[in-house]
Amino acid sequence: MERLPYILVIAGWAYVTLGHLLPEVLGPRLVARSRPVAWFAVAVHVFALALGAATSPHPTGLPEALSATALGLGIAYAWLAHRNLAALGMLLAPLTLVLIGTALVVPHRSVVALEETGYSPWLPIHLGLIFSGIAGFAVSSIVGVMFLWVRARLKQKKLRGLARLPSLDVLDRFQFRAMLFGFIFLTLGIGAGGAWAAASLSDPWALDPKIIFTLCIWAWYGMALQVRLVSGRRGRWTALFSIVGFGGLLFSLVGLNFILSGWHAYGG
Amino acid sequence: MAASRPLVAVGLSHHTAPVEVRERVSMDPAGVKRVLDRLKEQRILQEGMLLSTCNRMELYGVVEDEAGLRSFFHEYRGPSGEHIDRYLYWKRDRDAVYHLFKVASSLDSLVLGEPQILGQVKDAVRLAEEHASLGRVLHPLARRTLSVAKRVRSETDIGKSRVGIGNAGVDLAMQIFGSLSGKRAMLVGVGEMGRQVAQALLTAGLDELLIANRTFERSVELASETGGTPVPYERLEDYLARADIVLAATGAKKPIISATMVRNALRTRRYHTVFLIDLSVPRNIDPGVDDLEEAYLFNIDDLSKVMEEGKRAREAAAQAAEKLVAEEADRFVQSLRTVDINDDLAVMSALAESIRAQEIERSGKLTRTLDDKQIDQLDRLTRSLVKKVLHRQMMAIRQAAKAGDQDTVDALLAPWKEER
Repeated sequence: MERLPYILVIAGWAYVTLGHLLPEVLGPRLVARSRPVAWFAVAVHVFALALGAATSPHPTGLPEALSATALGLGIAYAWLAHRNLAALGMLLAPLTLVLIGTALVVPHRSVVALEETGYSPWLPIHLGLIFSGIAGFAVSSIVGVMFLWVRARLKQKKLRGLARLPSLDVLDRFQFRAMLFGFIFLTLGIGAGGAWAAASLSDPWALDPKIIFTLCIWAWYGMALQVRLVSGRRGRWTALFSIVGFGGLLFSLVGLNFILSGWHAYGG
Repeated sequence: MAASRPLVAVGLSHHTAPVEVRERVSMDPAGVKRVLDRLKEQRILQEGMLLSTCNRMELYGVVEDEAGLRSFFHEYRGPSGEHIDRYLYWKRDRDAVYHLFKVASSLDSLVLGEPQILGQVKDAVRLAEEHASLGRVLHPLARRTLSVAKRVRSETDIGKSRVGIGNAGVDLAMQIFGSLSGKRAMLVGVGEMGRQVAQALLTAGLDELLIANRTFERSVELASETGGTPVPYERLEDYLARADIVLAATGAKKPIISATMVRNALRTRRYHTVFLIDLSVPRNIDPGVDDLEEAYLFNIDDLSKVMEEGKRAREAAAQAAEKLVAEEADRFVQSLRTVDINDDLAVMSALAESIRAQEIERSGKLTRTLDDKQIDQLDRLTRSLVKKVLHRQMMAIRQAAKAGDQDTVDALLAPWKEER
């Protein structure tokens, strides 16, 4: 990955994170500029990814995966984390920063499947949809954590400083919407990957461990939506489904490629 | 302050005068105009702005005749015929600016952080503007006051927390629902505290209020006062499922809303959140309700905590806001001094220039022998000389003004003013 634009992106997110975690260091006037800085970081990030795609022979390794997820979170921050959802930035901004930082230090290895298929127009479609979905689930789980936190404080009647946080209903609505967004994009991403694999990979691609694990996660999120839409259980239920689901997704994204073999495993 | 005329703030407020006195000096816009007219006609004020609310009457002015102003206020009498002088506070220059900034930022209000005062200050500014009684001091002061008040509101939490049990209930409801639009509340019982919270919820945008009371007639009565809907007390359990917010304020000696009732209601409403406030002692809602996943129960002690928290937050915000206001007051006074000094320095330069021109004129013998180019050179040389000679003195005046040392400024400017 090209480092120079990423250093700018990191500087941008460090600024935004500082504004949320230690606002007194920046002061109210500079903190108020966090959102434009976040949009700037997002723009540079898009440029950096595009540059990587144009110049690298295999822009599909773990660093790119983490970077694309961070970009999704960054867009979610710039879009959502203001007005009554400003407090979300406390979690979104540092997570974005950590993901970009990790993307810069993890070793670059491309997935096995690409050695057989080479570059295909399906690749950006498959990855774009999957990482949009992952970003949606990431936002949902972050909002879910905040929901559980606010809920616990209300239940324990610890009301100090609560007015700065978003209301329970707003958090619940957003965790659901982000989950629905993630589910739709993950479904389309799995479909696109399946169509690509059917056209270009030798069998048995469907038994790839990552595909099976991802389908399990897809089913998990499907169940979460089913529970909410059919039985009406929302709030804490959606939050817990979301947090557990995203944990599984992170394992699938980072851990599984190293542990198991298969088309999605990292090769040379 | 401007051209050595002091900026004065004089007035009385809830801090210094009882309501009987305040109501005697309270003025409507026509009264404000009359006072401003009179003070200007009698050359007591050069500029003036009068703020009259139910909690304060304050005059801000650039004063020409301070004794005249004192005798003007001496005319006012309290309810027992006493002069109101003893209720008045007088603030000058920087203190007057600081006071106005504090007032407009709601740091001097009866209810700290209340938003109405800013509108009242805006009205006072508008009235003074209409009456052309804002000038080179009060005009920028009024503009800066409004921007400082907005800064305080946006950069501190002074306006975020409110007072009163009704608003505490609204704050909690907002923390749960975000907005009361589309929400329905049910008031069980017609106790005073229940009414207060219900009224505050309605003011905050609640869509519908159901009222259930053992005596149906009293429900009808309260419903007609508040615009609510009376419902039969016997069907409490049915209506429980329809209410997003439940307020219990009856004199019952044991719980009238049990955990089972709320559990059933939640099932019927497909687990949509319900917020319950128990304002009664002994409590009317079974505390076990709070163990239900989607139910949030608060009792009278919890509401007190919300009020306490609001008070603490307001006090902390007020400290930060006062610091901000003090800095702004210093900055404003500094900017006024700069404007004053710039005017004086411009006069000084003009005077020096006229002396230079006169001297050149007087040396006609010399200049007649010079051609245009040489005259131009002589002109430039003499201008440069004058500028250099004045520079040090001007710097000294600026520094003294910046330090607020008016005596030195006056001493340094005196020869130039005499010359003028």
